[in-house]
Amino acid sequence: MYGGDEVSAIVIDLGSHTCKAGYAGEDAPKAVFPSVVGSIDQMEVDDAANTDTNSGAATEAKSNVKTPDSDKNKGKRKLYVGSQALGYRRDHMEVVSPFKDGIVADWDIVDNIWEHAFRECLLIDPTEHPMLLAEPSSNPQQQREKATELMFEKYKVPALFLAKNAVLTSFASGRATSLVVDCGGGSTTVAPVHDGYVLQKGVATSPIGGEFLTDCLLKSLESKGIKIRPRYSFKRKEVRPGEFQSFDVDFPSTTESYRLYSQRVIASDIKDSVCRAPDSPYDESAYANIPMTPYELPDGQTIEIGADRFKIPDVLFNPSLAQTIPGMESFSEFAPSVRGLSQMVIESINKCDVDIRRELFSSILLAGGTASMQQLKERLEKDLLEESPQAARVKVLASGNTTERRFSVWIGGSILASLGSFQQMWFSKTEYEEHGASYVQRKCP
Amino acid sequence: MDAKDILGLPKNQLPIPQEKKSRPPKEPQRKPDGISREVYALTGGLAPLMPSIDVSQLKRRPPSDEKITWQWLPFTNSARKDDLQLFHWVRVVNGVPPTGDYAFAKYNKSVDIIKYTDEEYEKYLTDPTWTKEDTDQLFDLCERFDLRFVVIADRFPSSRTVEELKDRYYSVSRALLSARAPPGDIASHPLVKEPYNMSQEVERKRALSMVLSQTKQQERKDAEVVAEAKRITESRMAAKGPEESESPVAANVGPENSQRAAVTGDAVTPSNATLPSAIAASSTLMADNASTLASLRMLRVYLRTYALDQMVQAASASAGLRTIKRVEQTLQELGVNLKPKVPTKAVCAEHLELRKEILTLLNLQKQLQYKEAEGTSFHESPYSETPGTPKRMPRGDQDRPFMPDPLSFGGDRFGKRDQKRKAPARTSEAAQSPSQSKRPRKMKASDI
Repeated sequence: MYGGDEVSAIVIDLGSHTCKAGYAGEDAPKAVFPSVVGSIDQMEVDDAANTDTNSGAATEAKSNVKTPDSDKNKGKRKLYVGSQALGYRRDHMEVVSPFKDGIVADWDIVDNIWEHAFRECLLIDPTEHPMLLAEPSSNPQQQREKATELMFEKYKVPALFLAKNAVLTSFASGRATSLVVDCGGGSTTVAPVHDGYVLQKGVATSPIGGEFLTDCLLKSLESKGIKIRPRYSFKRKEVRPGEFQSFDVDFPSTTESYRLYSQRVIASDIKDSVCRAPDSPYDESAYANIPMTPYELPDGQTIEIGADRFKIPDVLFNPSLAQTIPGMESFSEFAPSVRGLSQMVIESINKCDVDIRRELFSSILLAGGTASMQQLKERLEKDLLEESPQAARVKVLASGNTTERRFSVWIGGSILASLGSFQQMWFSKTEYEEHGASYVQRKCP
Repeated sequence: MDAKDILGLPKNQLPIPQEKKSRPPKEPQRKPDGISREVYALTGGLAPLMPSIDVSQLKRRPPSDEKITWQWLPFTNSARKDDLQLFHWVRVVNGVPPTGDYAFAKYNKSVDIIKYTDEEYEKYLTDPTWTKEDTDQLFDLCERFDLRFVVIADRFPSSRTVEELKDRYYSVSRALLSARAPPGDIASHPLVKEPYNMSQEVERKRALSMVLSQTKQQERKDAEVVAEAKRITESRMAAKGPEESESPVAANVGPENSQRAAVTGDAVTPSNATLPSAIAASSTLMADNASTLASLRMLRVYLRTYALDQMVQAASASAGLRTIKRVEQTLQELGVNLKPKVPTKAVCAEHLELRKEILTLLNLQKQLQYKEAEGTSFHESPYSETPGTPKRMPRGDQDRPFMPDPLSFGGDRFGKRDQKRKAPARTSEAAQSPSQSKRPRKMKASDI
């Protein structure tokens, strides 16, 4: 590969919805799993008579000994990481996320996630591979230092580099200067990148992400009387050949968070398959009579979805629309400060230096899982053409392949870590020992 | 029925393998009959007579006196300051790994930033708006980011604009250069030859930001406002009966003014500027007394003969060029000047009335002829209804006494006709237009 040199680096992108990990130089991550974990407080398990002997990746937080003595395991919990482990319903299992407001709050969970990725998914020994970590575009200094410490102290990696998400997306499309619109699971971030560096003053975030849209859809369906039953709560029996009937199965000790998590999985599938971004701002009256699309739920129930198909994606562009959905009133407390997607783009560009604005307008990149929604690119382009200056040529770019859009941050990292001229930029263990964790600020701009 | 049969020996035993061998090479050389050679070639047909690739060359391996393996070996990179050793695949020949530096180390280029000592700072570089720490920090960032000022401005802790940073950096570098080097040498150095002009940059950026801040909606609104202003001024012009000059100067000035009007987007002030442009736009040809007329126009003085021309033109606007010519011919026949010699108000009014009446007369004559033609011919020509004369209201509603609308006048008559007899009237109208084209030619021929 011209310009490339494989050093078998590992690229990890821990997003708010999924974690992606894999070898640099490849074109897709090998390990993709949800970045939430199931956790069972050891105390509660010991109170109940039965212990869990389930399959799946169970990693214990501190001790490996399961003793019936509840005093020893006070405050410890068992974490289950990975889609296989999460898919299996366990009593008293809570679903927790390491993120709070977009930044990492619980480093223990992050540790477990990395462990799972290295040992079970990729089957590597971290001491032999340099690591490239993808971090949010506006990550505070403290978070970076903590990540650096954890990597060097616990996993003893030979070299590390922290790259910003927006820069990696930009490199994945072959550009050094662009405006990256990252519509992810937990939030949407608009960040300008100039010559390979993020311009911090122009970064704008909004809490509306794919998960928020899924919640909207869930509440909207519930308000219409459609009950989404999580997969574990029913069993389908074949009463006649070809015909199925579902029976409710009751699990009283399932936690609320797990039930919500399973419902969200189904709702996000509905959102992926049925929702489309409308061509013009959503209007109740205009969409009152459109034909409904059928969707079959896992329990055999078929539901019809009509105006919600267009209403939910329009929340990205018009956040106040979410308040009209019954059940989402809690959103109104921080609604006034949240702006739609096109306004965020315009604001972000206007905060940058005048000379580069033209270039930013003509290379707007779409990335993230939510960006693979149909017609999103066309709608954004149309909205921006209205509000952008005459002199600038607006062009929104998104790779045609939805997989590429979802993993564009990881792919950018894969490209970067396998370049020959990148090998001088690693933050090595000796440098860490010499200068300390705060040196990461200089080394990884 | 030969000996072999009798003996029970198999026939053709020996020749068969030879036949088989010879047949495959022979068969492909023949093409089947019935289809042409090109069509057969499309199906993959005959192999070329001479093979283009020498098959025996394909699998030749490199001379085996060298032993080549690929090994996973550590390497050092001279572009790094520490001694990190990473591993990569290396092509090893005869057990000897390649020597030399890492191939990509040569791409590690950076910008040379001048460094200054503290004494030099005290001597040459002090500045009221910049502290030493700030300057130090600036130079540190310049080195880290390779003089990418946009990024440096973004990361600089106190908020300073890109122009300020550039100005400080370049002035410091220039001061250091001139201080360190003997004065003669550096005159050709780019920093000294073209110093950084901060005020110009600030101005340029301000202008650029103004251009870029006009959104499309605003542009559209501006364009609408300008069009509205133009219409208003044109109607105002028609009321006054303006003097026009078709000088190239005016024409140049006009579009320039309208351009400036569009750019500034100011509705009120271009009303003076667009007046000449409106005039230029709606002018007819005049002799070029360019400068005098232009200066007169500036003072808003208009010659009256031209006002008459305009009114005449407006009056006969709906009649078409040929009818105008006929009207003028009739005037000449009657012994009336085309333009009244003494253009007072009363005279002009009479003149216009006369023109109108002539026009009506001509129209009536035409109508009469068509009716006669219709009466004599029996078949109706299936002409679709063509619009007789274009409707035009060029000068607005204020000037009714001077410009009665000829269309409504003529149209009244046609309308009346239509009420009485619908189908025939239409065809008469329709029939009129093609014959209208014929008639003037006839008249001209007869005149000549």
